[in-house]
Amino acid sequence: MNTIINKRLPIAWLVLTLLTMCYLWIDHAADGDAARQPSALATTAAIIIALVKVRVIFREFMEVRHAPALLCHLTDGWLLLIGAALLGSYLLGAAMR
Amino acid sequence: MTQIKDSARHTRVVPGQPDMWAFVLFEALIFTGYFSVYLFNRAQRPDDFLPYQASLDLRIGVLNTVVLLLSSWSIARCVEAARAGDYRKASLKAGLTALFGVVFFVIKASEWVHYTAQGNGVTSNEFFNYYFFLTGIHCLHLLIGFVVLAVVIYQLRSPLRRSQQLIETGATYWHTVDFLWVLIFALLYVVR
Repeated sequence: MNTIINKRLPIAWLVLTLLTMCYLWIDHAADGDAARQPSALATTAAIIIALVKVRVIFREFMEVRHAPALLCHLTDGWLLLIGAALLGSYLLGAAMR
Repeated sequence: MTQIKDSARHTRVVPGQPDMWAFVLFEALIFTGYFSVYLFNRAQRPDDFLPYQASLDLRIGVLNTVVLLLSSWSIARCVEAARAGDYRKASLKAGLTALFGVVFFVIKASEWVHYTAQGNGVTSNEFFNYYFFLTGIHCLHLLIGFVVLAVVIYQLRSPLRRSQQLIETGATYWHTVDFLWVLIFALLYVVR
């Protein structure tokens, strides 16, 4: 029996893997060979890339793009919430240093 | 007939059981709390985190992430195959998913041993305190995922037990293990 191949799945995996590879560049660009320093830019980039990856997993692997609008809104709503919570916590902590 | 097929294609359905999605969103909120506390503390006291974070090998983290992404792709293929009635292929894909999960676990466990041997144990410093807590609780979810995959494979083996909804529910759980790791990886290995 032949299974219909969904060509979006390998593309999704490739996009997720390429986004993961971006971290190698961010890690190098953040401090190179020098000692590690706090960096709001590297932190923000890392968090945004992670949230984009999670959304791809939701939409493509977990089939949320075929799900009722409520589930789409709930998953997108949580992504906005966690994005605000993570960046807010980091910036608040940095401000209270 | 064509109309029936078209309407079926455009019918939006929740993948798996809605209860599993309630659990996924609940878990997502719990982890949002863990991550926020961790980020607040590390931003407030960077000297307690950054020197110890430098002990982590980012390349190992990248490798483990790619392995877990492969497992997610594999379980998505399992769902597709089961939907198409190709249960043998679905079973193989579920087995492959478990294999990728085992590879992830072995790499993670070897990381734990390596860092502990370096003197970065659970209670050695604040960074590794969070590292072991977050990776440990994630691995607990991974181990539960192996039980879920075993149930999926058991279901797929007999026509009397097969349930597409249960297979999709198992896949939804496994993807949750994947997306939680995507966040944990970025927060532990990359942020500054």
